Amino acid sequence: MSADFTLDLRGESCPYPVIYTLDALKDMNPGQLLQVITDCPGSFRNVPEEVVNHGYKLVKEPEKNGQEYLFYIEA
Amino acid sequence: MKSLYTRLFGRYWNAYTALIAAGVLSALYFGLTGTVWAVTGEFTRLGGHILNFFGFDTTGWAYFDLVHLKGSSFERSDGWIVWGMFIGALITVLLSNSFKIRVPKQKRRLVQGLIGGIIAGFGARLAMGCNLAAFFTGVPQFSFHSWIFIVATGFGTYLGAQIAKTKWWKGKPALTKGSAVSKTREKRVIQPYVGGVVAIAYSALIIYFFATGKPLLGTAAIFGALFGILIERGQICFTSAFRDLWLTGRSLMGKAIIAAMAVSSVFTIIVIAIYGMEPITQVTSPGTFVGGFLFGLGIVLASSCETGMMYRLMEGQVLYLVVFAGNLIGVTLLAYAWDHLGVYNLLVASGTKINLVTAIGPVWAIIATLTMLAACWVFVDYWAKNKRYRMTVKREEKKLVS
Repeated sequence: MSADFTLDLRGESCPYPVIYTLDALKDMNPGQLLQVITDCPGSFRNVPEEVVNHGYKLVKEPEKNGQEYLFYIEA
Repeated sequence: MKSLYTRLFGRYWNAYTALIAAGVLSALYFGLTGTVWAVTGEFTRLGGHILNFFGFDTTGWAYFDLVHLKGSSFERSDGWIVWGMFIGALITVLLSNSFKIRVPKQKRRLVQGLIGGIIAGFGARLAMGCNLAAFFTGVPQFSFHSWIFIVATGFGTYLGAQIAKTKWWKGKPALTKGSAVSKTREKRVIQPYVGGVVAIAYSALIIYFFATGKPLLGTAAIFGALFGILIERGQICFTSAFRDLWLTGRSLMGKAIIAAMAVSSVFTIIVIAIYGMEPITQVTSPGTFVGGFLFGLGIVLASSCETGMMYRLMEGQVLYLVVFAGNLIGVTLLAYAWDHLGVYNLLVASGTKINLVTAIGPVWAIIATLTMLAACWVFVDYWAKNKRYRMTVKREEKKLVS
């Protein structure tokens, strides 16, 4: 799956993964795809929850990649 | 067997389950030992040990007398609560294969962690407890100072959240065009085996405590590990309970904490009634409010409170090494300022110990506590429903412009 933008948030702790993700989605055009890479365990839960609560769509199941997670979100 | 392992360690636990279990265990721990689940008092003693190690004489510091600075951390039940939490969290981090050295890319985070950690440590000890003794285990002890502390933490975290979302504080992420990484094949998984070895070694230590006539240390070591496991598996973050409510309207953690405190209060009043124990009461003073406010501000700036820091450090998040150092500096500064700079006379001397059980009787104490928690629940729910979609609204405004 090819994304339009990628946010590499490895090393960032809460709350910045959520803030950065929502900020990036806000500036994208509807329909564009954002890939988010994160390794903060707190964000494995609150990033998918918050993007859905803010009206965006997870286009596929989050992928676990070792100690990291990949999210694909449609703006 | 495999599926049980996946259920326990393949995913994080429900926050309600983990918190309610912690609430029940802390009531049980109180019943067994007469002390409560707390950490920053021990941090203060660690700060004192460090000062003494470098040759500073701390005899006569009133705050160290107050927290009974003597012996070593490994001979105290409060010490084993702290070490047990670190070890318990480390065991489940390893069993779930989630240890990774995580270094913040933006160096400003380290400065923020240090500053926030110092403010949070200072505030916690000024108020006589962090999110545990002045909050999660303070409310179920019916110590009125925790009521003041919760409100003050609310204000402090609100200010912290306003600072955290400014441009100069949050910094800029690495947003790139296109896809960056794809899934890589996992290498051989060895962390769970290391975790198993640590668990066995720690169990042997606990058996040693009981076998050598130190049941109090053994009990603290068991409960410490259980608390560590619960906060790690449940990703129990008191900072996020407040901060996320202010930032995005996320209410899950806040509600889970409130529910768990209600359960813990009921269990504690039963323990008090059956065993005729004295609840643990701390001073309610202007210092409680000032300390709670500083604590709230500090934990948001540092991205973690004193307990969240512990499991995150075990996950390998390097930022929290700095936060831990900040916490130790903060509590030690408070211990110094207590009598040397007149903090006690200014903010605490006018206070008194207020316990609801002794003030209004056990029945009204539990009724008042549950009513207060219900009011907190209503507030959190109202705030979440009315503020949740703030960020989305901004997005629609932008669409109209373009």
